[in-house]
Amino acid sequence: MKHLLWVSLLLAMMACHTDSGEYVDVEEDRALSVMVPSNFPPMAYNLEENPPTQFGFELGKKLFYDGKLSANGFISCGFCHEQRFSFTHHGHQFSHGIDDKEGTRNTPSIANMAFFSEFAWDGATNHLDLFPIIPITNEVEMGETMTGVLQKLQADSEYQKAFNAAFEEGGVNHENFLKAMAQFMVMMVSYNSKYDKYVRNEDGVSLTDHELQGLSIFQQKCASCHTTDLFSDGSFRNNGLPPNPKLNDLGRAEVSGSASDNYKFKVPSLRNVSLTAPYMHDGRFGSLESVLNFYQNGVQDSPTLDPLLKTEAGLGISLDGAEKEALIAFLGTLTDTEFIADKRFAEY
Amino acid sequence: MKLSYKLSIILLFSALVFSCSSDDNATDLTGNGTVHIEFDNSVAGDDLLLSTSSYTNSQNETLTINRLTYIVGNFRLTDENGTVFTYPKDEGYFIVNEETGNTEVALTNVPAGRYTSLTFGIGVDQEKYLQGAEGQGNLLTEAENTNMVWSWQAGYKFLNFEGTFTSPTITDATDFVIHMGSHGSSLDNYKETTLDLGSEALVSSDMNPIIHLVVDAGNILDGENKIALSEQAVIMISEEKSPQIATNASGMFTVDHVHNGSGESH
Repeated sequence: MKHLLWVSLLLAMMACHTDSGEYVDVEEDRALSVMVPSNFPPMAYNLEENPPTQFGFELGKKLFYDGKLSANGFISCGFCHEQRFSFTHHGHQFSHGIDDKEGTRNTPSIANMAFFSEFAWDGATNHLDLFPIIPITNEVEMGETMTGVLQKLQADSEYQKAFNAAFEEGGVNHENFLKAMAQFMVMMVSYNSKYDKYVRNEDGVSLTDHELQGLSIFQQKCASCHTTDLFSDGSFRNNGLPPNPKLNDLGRAEVSGSASDNYKFKVPSLRNVSLTAPYMHDGRFGSLESVLNFYQNGVQDSPTLDPLLKTEAGLGISLDGAEKEALIAFLGTLTDTEFIADKRFAEY
Repeated sequence: MKLSYKLSIILLFSALVFSCSSDDNATDLTGNGTVHIEFDNSVAGDDLLLSTSSYTNSQNETLTINRLTYIVGNFRLTDENGTVFTYPKDEGYFIVNEETGNTEVALTNVPAGRYTSLTFGIGVDQEKYLQGAEGQGNLLTEAENTNMVWSWQAGYKFLNFEGTFTSPTITDATDFVIHMGSHGSSLDNYKETTLDLGSEALVSSDMNPIIHLVVDAGNILDGENKIALSEQAVIMISEEKSPQIATNASGMFTVDHVHNGSGESH
């Protein structure tokens, strides 16, 4: 009888031991908090519908950098959205995708997307979750189908595990795929530029006189479209860029079907703008100098030209050489080196 | 013996009477049932045969239809007392596809009742879009597999209507393509229709009615709004014509009959 007691105690201990051994291997998922900087407008993304977690974020990141999302297996999201250029395709006027086919628009930045409610240059979707469908299925970008992507992921045991770990209702399906991608993007908040620290009175950061002069000119001449500390009001406007006759990209009108939207494109954020050349929806300008020169003397009149660019003083924005230099100095303060170097978003 | 024979006849008769009257009593419909909705695609009174027969509309255009696919959703059933049963939104969108023969929608777990009208939407409403990934579920997969997703915008085609046509001015068979959906956030083309069932659809744990709808594809171009293909044969994003097509499409449904019963036979 005494022996039996010892044996059963021993068994119980062993059972405990193996149990705890297994638990050590299983890492718990945890909720991630999303940064809403004090100088930003409220977040547009509904976090309650898709609260980011460590595993969801990591899965999203894995997907973001995986060429499996494209037809030939090589073009990942990160191929065109490179972190060091604030997730744009630096040096490429048009982003080139599968089989080296070229698109007709320049890759926009993905920073701070959770604060916007329209996506792509023309607002082709009004929900961040649904955005990845566009480049994945675009025949000159990733040239895949959503179903094709899922089939590849479903056949991959690593992805099966990652999907099950990240979502309560696990499984490699569209819903979880899009949620994971969104979790990765929602976390990409760029808010630690020199300008941010200056407006938040952090770390004693101040702007130089030249930069302050640029800020003042910016507030007078640019900030009616590039509003808030996101530096965009998210609206669609025709800034008077002469249409490229080879493309005749109608912009917003291609989504809305409305001639009143002809040649309108989403006002881009200017965060990290010093890093994101080339500029404009079609990447036609290689430098900020060229952009400002365009606003000074290149704006073309048309029925949909934004009224703010057509005043009694004429078309465009009056800027002299010194003002342009000051503006460029100010725009340089929007570069967020912490964001560019943030390991959480890095491919390697 | 004779008396008991008579008595038994009377008893049997009264039992029959009781059973008849109890059928008419609404309180006897209990539990949940399935409502089947058959989308019987047709064109101007004839069966729709894809890529086969042609038909001439009131604008003197002759169409051969090669594809008819549309999204229906947000089903609601109203009973004799005006009580509305709303089918759960998350499972509430279906793709009716003439090519694959997927033309029946089954609404399961419908509470017992005597339903007199049916409401549903053609397309996907803004509420569903704004649910993001959470709300799309299998609809996205199914839509992609049935050519109901646009590639340049993350939206659904509500209606995919394709074929060839000739007209007095265009004598060679020419392709027509009608893809209708909402235009991002700028134009909402989701439309609903309410149909009087003309009779009652009885639902209970053992009554699963079939509502047989006739869908007139001719109405898409030749309905309340007249759309001439000779003027424009490819219509995808048109601020003027897409809403007209949406209105026409929402008017293409009529209730042919309601078949009450176990739902096993049609």
